[in-house]
Amino acid sequence: MRTFAYRTADDVTQAVTTHGADDQVAYVAGGTTLLDLVKLDVMRPTQLVDINRLPLGEVETLDDGRLRIGATVTNTELAHHPEVKARYPLLSQALLAGASTQLRNMATTAGNIMQRTRCPYYRDASAACNRREPGSGCDAMHGINRMHAVLGVSDQCIATHPSDMCIAMAAIGATLTLEGPDGKREIAFNDFHRLPGDQPEKEHELRPGELITYITLDTPIEGAGAYYLKLRDRASYEFALASAGALVSIQDGVIHEARLALGGVATKPWRSHEAEQALHNQPAAVSTFEMAAEAAMQDAVPHEHNAFKIPLARQAIVRALREACKDAENANEPR
Amino acid sequence: MEPSETSAQADETVTVNLFVNGEPRQLQVTSNVVLLDALRDELHLTGTKKGCDHGQCGACTVHVEGKAINSCLRLAVMCEGQHITTVEGLARNGELHPVQRAFLDHDAYQCGYCTPGQMMSAAALLEDDRIAADDASVREAMSGNICRCGAYKNILEAVQDARQVMVSGTEGRS
Amino acid sequence: MDTQVIGHRTPRVDGENKLTGRADYTTDWYVDNMLHGYPVPASISHGTLEALDIEPVLAMPGVVAVYHHGNFPKLYRSPSSQAHQDQVSEVRLPFEDERIHYDGQYVAMVVAERYEQARAAAHALQARYHQDSGARPGLLETREDGRPLESEGGLRGDPDSAYERAPVKIDHVYAIAPESHMQMEMHATLAQWRDDRLIVHESTQGVVYQHKAMARIFDMPEEKVEVISHYIGSGFGNKLFMWPHAVATAAAARELGRPVKTVLSRQQDMASGGNRPASRQRLRLAADEQGRLLSMRHDSTTETSFVHPYVDSVGTPTLNLYACDNAAISHHLLEVNHGTPCPMRAPGEVSGIYALECAMDELAIALDMDPLELRRRNYSYEDPTKGLPWSSKHLDTCYDSAARRFGWERRDPRVGSMREGDEILGWGMATSSWTAGRQPCMARVELRADGTVMAACGTQDIGTGTYTVVAQTVAELTGVPLDRVEVRLGESSLPAGPLSGGSMATATTLPAVAAAVRAAIDELKEVATDEDAPFTGADPDGLAFRDGALADEQGKRVAFDDLLSGQKLGSVSGDGQAAPGDEQNQYSFRSFGAHFVEVRWDPGISRLCVSRVVSSIDIGRAVNPVTARNQVEGAIVMGIGMGLFEKLDYDPRDARLINNNYSDYIVTSHADMPEIDVELLDNPDYAFNEFGARGVGEIGLTGIAPAIANAIYHATGKRIRDLPITIEKLMEP
Repeated sequence: MRTFAYRTADDVTQAVTTHGADDQVAYVAGGTTLLDLVKLDVMRPTQLVDINRLPLGEVETLDDGRLRIGATVTNTELAHHPEVKARYPLLSQALLAGASTQLRNMATTAGNIMQRTRCPYYRDASAACNRREPGSGCDAMHGINRMHAVLGVSDQCIATHPSDMCIAMAAIGATLTLEGPDGKREIAFNDFHRLPGDQPEKEHELRPGELITYITLDTPIEGAGAYYLKLRDRASYEFALASAGALVSIQDGVIHEARLALGGVATKPWRSHEAEQALHNQPAAVSTFEMAAEAAMQDAVPHEHNAFKIPLARQAIVRALREACKDAENANEPR
Repeated sequence: MEPSETSAQADETVTVNLFVNGEPRQLQVTSNVVLLDALRDELHLTGTKKGCDHGQCGACTVHVEGKAINSCLRLAVMCEGQHITTVEGLARNGELHPVQRAFLDHDAYQCGYCTPGQMMSAAALLEDDRIAADDASVREAMSGNICRCGAYKNILEAVQDARQVMVSGTEGRS
Repeated sequence: MDTQVIGHRTPRVDGENKLTGRADYTTDWYVDNMLHGYPVPASISHGTLEALDIEPVLAMPGVVAVYHHGNFPKLYRSPSSQAHQDQVSEVRLPFEDERIHYDGQYVAMVVAERYEQARAAAHALQARYHQDSGARPGLLETREDGRPLESEGGLRGDPDSAYERAPVKIDHVYAIAPESHMQMEMHATLAQWRDDRLIVHESTQGVVYQHKAMARIFDMPEEKVEVISHYIGSGFGNKLFMWPHAVATAAAARELGRPVKTVLSRQQDMASGGNRPASRQRLRLAADEQGRLLSMRHDSTTETSFVHPYVDSVGTPTLNLYACDNAAISHHLLEVNHGTPCPMRAPGEVSGIYALECAMDELAIALDMDPLELRRRNYSYEDPTKGLPWSSKHLDTCYDSAARRFGWERRDPRVGSMREGDEILGWGMATSSWTAGRQPCMARVELRADGTVMAACGTQDIGTGTYTVVAQTVAELTGVPLDRVEVRLGESSLPAGPLSGGSMATATTLPAVAAAVRAAIDELKEVATDEDAPFTGADPDGLAFRDGALADEQGKRVAFDDLLSGQKLGSVSGDGQAAPGDEQNQYSFRSFGAHFVEVRWDPGISRLCVSRVVSSIDIGRAVNPVTARNQVEGAIVMGIGMGLFEKLDYDPRDARLINNNYSDYIVTSHADMPEIDVELLDNPDYAFNEFGARGVGEIGLTGIAPAIANAIYHATGKRIRDLPITIEKLMEP
C-alpha cells in the first residue's frame, strides 16, 4: 500500500472543502473497498478524507413516509433497523446476503453504493482494463469471464456490479442526496450508476469532490411481498452469480404492482422494467413469472464462460417472484 | 473522550491514541498502516492474525467499539480514541472467556491460526441479540471466518455451548 | 493394551496458547533490528526479465536493499534428496537467472525498515519484460500429454486382453482442476545470522528438512543452522519442503547483517507457494456379470512447472484398493507455465481415488448393481501389489456401520427419485484409503527434579495435535499427569523427527518417544541403585516405574522427583529411537474407510448443497479421539471444497493466475458445513507399532469428492467427471 495523506472532517462542508475537486483525493468511511484496492495498487489516492465523524449516521422516517438513511450508517445497522425490517424487508434481506458480519459492521450505505467491481482484471494492476485505465483494453472480454455481466455490457467492459444492497434499492427506488463543491443536489438511485458504454471508467454520476450524504428510500408499495434470492457457488460470504430482488403486490390473485431488480448479472444494479411490464395485471402464477424472466433476460449477451448466468438469472427471477407472491399472500392474510 | 482531529501527510508519522484491551496505548504510524499491522508490528499483540489482508478470511477479526471488524481493512489512524479488544483481551483476571473455554473443551480448532478471529466473532455474536440463536443463524453469522482446517462442526458446538454458559452466568447474576 | 491416557479424549496441551494469542507462529516473531522483506512477483508467466528500475525504489523511505539477479549472492542448489532429507519444493534458486517460468515468480525482493515501506517499494518497482509467445497453459487447457514416466507405471496380469473379453466395461476420462492449499498462515521466514550461525524461524512442516537444505544452499556445516517452527498455521503439504522466499530472506539477512522477516502476501502464496497440480485420468474398468473386476487400467497425466519436476502419483490406489488380477497404471508429466506444484493433503491418492471411485459408481450402474455391493464383491483381503496380508483391515465394518447410520438401505437407486419439496436428494458413497507410513525417528525425554517430564523431538505440530499425543505417550508410560509433561517440538536442534506429512507423524514419533521414556527410566534406575541412593545395591531390573515413582518388589516406593532431588540431580534423560522393522516384510499397512454423502439439488434454481456426510474410518488406534475425529471432520469440509468449489483459474491465454485470493478462490465456508457423523473404528494395529496407530491426516479427504459426484449423479442424472462440479456444469443439458 503506497502512502497517502489523511485528514478528518467533522461536517459535510469541511469534508467537501478538504476534498476539493481533486480526483486524487478519496473519501473514506468503512474503507472495505478503498483499502482493499489501495493495497492492490489499483487505487492510488494521494489523500484520504475520513468522513466517519460527519453527522450522517442516522436513519429517520420523513414526514412523507420515506426513509432517509445517512451515508455512514453501516450495513449491519441498516439491515437490523426496525423500520427497515418492517417496511423494507427486501433491503434487510439483501444486506444480510452480502459479505460477512465483520464487513457489514464496517461497510457503510454510501460506500456500498460506491463499491467497485470484482472483475479480476480490474483488480490486477498489470492487466488490461478500460475501467481502471481507459483505452488499455479489456482482458476479461476474451479471458476468464465466468463472473462477468450479461446485461448492460459494452465492447469496452463487461464487469459486474457486485452489490446486493443496491439490488434492493433499485427495486425499492431511492433518491441520493449529493453535496460537493458546487452545492447540494439530488439524483434518482437508478440514474446514479452508469452503464460502461464507451466510458467504463465513469462508473457513476458523482462530480469531482461530490459526496453522497443521504439515501432516501421511496415509500414502500402497499401490501407488497418481498424476496431476495442470491445464487452463488457457496452458501455464504461470496458474491452473487445471479440474484433477484422482487417486490410484488397482489389483488385477487392478480399482480397489481411488481418491482424486479437483478444482481450479479449486470454492469450496474439492474432494474428490469421489461419484467415488471410482463408481470403487471397478470395472474400470480409460474407461467407469468417465466414470461417475466424471459423478458428480463431477452437482451442478455453472454461471453465464453458466463452464458449459464442467463438461465440462472431466469431461475432466480422465477423463484424470487414465487416467494415474493407467497410473502404477499401471507402478509394479506388476517392475523 | 472526543477524538482529536487527525491530519497526516504522506510518509509522515502521526500519533494515534487508542484503548486496547482497556489500556490506553499510543501508536506512531504513517497513515497507510492498517489496524492489524499496528496491533502486531507496533504493540506486538500478535494474537490477531493476517490470513488474506483483504477482508476475505476473518483471521484478523477484532472488536472496535464492541463490533467485530476486519482489522486489515481499517486504518490505524481511523481508530483515534476508539476502544479495541483483541484476543489478548478476552480472558479477564486470568480466567478464560466462556468462548475460549468452550473452544478448548470442544477442540474447536486445529492449527489455531484462524482461532483468535473465530473467537472474536463468536464473542461478538453472543452479545448481539439481533442474531438469532439457532444453528443456521450462527453458521451464517460465523461465515466471515474461514477455517481451512475445517473445524466448523466443533466451532459451532463451542459457540452454542458458550451461549449456555453466558446465559446461565447472566441469570446467576440477576 | 490397557491404557489410561492413550486412546482417551484429551484436550490439546497447547490449546490455551492458541486460545489466548500466546502461540508463537513464525509471523509473530519480532526481533531487535529486524527488517522486512517483500518479494516482487513477475507479472508474466513466460519470458525474460529485461530491466528493473531499482534506483527510484532505493530512494524510497525506509528501503535498505533490493535484491535481484544482478546482485543476489552466489549460493548452491540443494541436491533435493528425500533420502538425505534436503528436499526442497523448487530446486531453482531465487533470482538464479532472468528467465521467467511462471506468473508470480520472484524477480526481486525489497528489504525495508518497516513492512509498509517494503510493500510500497515492491509495488513501485518497475520491471520490463520480454514476453515470449507460447506460454503453455494448464494441462486441462491443452491436449498435450507430456512425457511418459516409466517409474510411475505398474502392471499385473494382462489387463488389456481381460478388458477386451469382459462383458461389462466402462471407459471414461476424469479431470481435476489445480487446487490451492489455502493454509491460513502464509509462508513466512525470519532469518537471523548470529556470528556464523543461521537461525531461521519458518512456518514449515519439516524443520529437519529445511535445516539440511539451508545448510546445503549456504554451504554450511549442519550444526551451524537452526530452524524453528513452534506453531504452524497449517500447511496441508505446501510447507513440507522449502520455497525460494526462505532462501532469499536468509541471503538478505546475511548480506545486510540484520534479521529479515518475510511474510508472503496471500497473492504471492497462491502463485508461488505450491498447489495441487491438475490431473487428467482415464479409467477403464471391466467386470463380469456378477460384478467381479476383471481389468483395471488407470492412465494419468499431471502437470508441473518448468523449474521443478513434481509428480503427483495419482494411479497407485487402482493397484491396491480392490482385488483384481489384471491391473495397470501409467503416468505422464506435462510442464506448464504455472507455479510449482507440491504435495497437497493425500497427494496423488485423493485424485486417483476420485477417478477410481467415480468409475466404480459408473460400473455399478452399468451392472445395475448397488454401488456398495460392487465394492464388497471386490474386497481385497491382501495387498495385491505386494502379495502381503493387510496388517489390520476392517473396511467391511466401515461399509456396514456407515451404511447403517446413513440409512443406505432406504436408497431408491432411480435417478431423481428421492424428492422433498423443491429439492431432490442424491445419495452416493465412496471408499476412502491412505497408505500407512512410518519413518525412522529420534526423541529425548528428561525426568526432572521439579517433578516434570520433558519430551523433545524435531518434528512439529501443524494442528493435527502432535504436542498432545506426545504428551499423552509420556503420561501413559510414566504415570505423570499431563499438566506436568512438557513437550518440545519444532526445532531442528532437537533429536531428528519426521515431516508433519503423509499421516506419518504420530506413528513415527510416538515409538521413539516411548523408547526415550524407557531409556530415561533406565537411567533413573541406575541412579537409584547407586551408592547412597534409595535402592542401593538393588538390581535395576527388579525396579518398576509406575505412577511417577520407582518401586521395588518389597513395596518401597520413591517418587522420581524426590529421588533426583535426594541425589542432587536436576534430571536424568534418555534418548530413544525407533524405525520400521521386519513387520514391513510381513504385512502391508494401509487405512481404509467409507463415506456416504447426501446432496440436495434444487433444480428450479440450480442450487446444490452437501447436506449430510456419514463416515466410518479405520485408522487403527486413535491416540487422541478428539483431535483424530477433528481431522476427519475437517477433511470432509475440505473435500466439499474439492468437489464443488476449488479451482485455481489461470488465464489460458497467458497462463497468469486470476483468482489469487481468498475471495475468488472458493473454499468451504461455515454455512456450507453439512451434518457430519464420523465414526473412528478402534482396532489398534499393533503390527504397525506398539500403540497401534496408523495416522489420520489424509484419509478423510480421500473419497469425499467422488461420493459427492456419485450423489450428484443419483440426484440429477448428470455424470460430471471434471472437478470442481460447479453450477454451470450442473446446468448443462
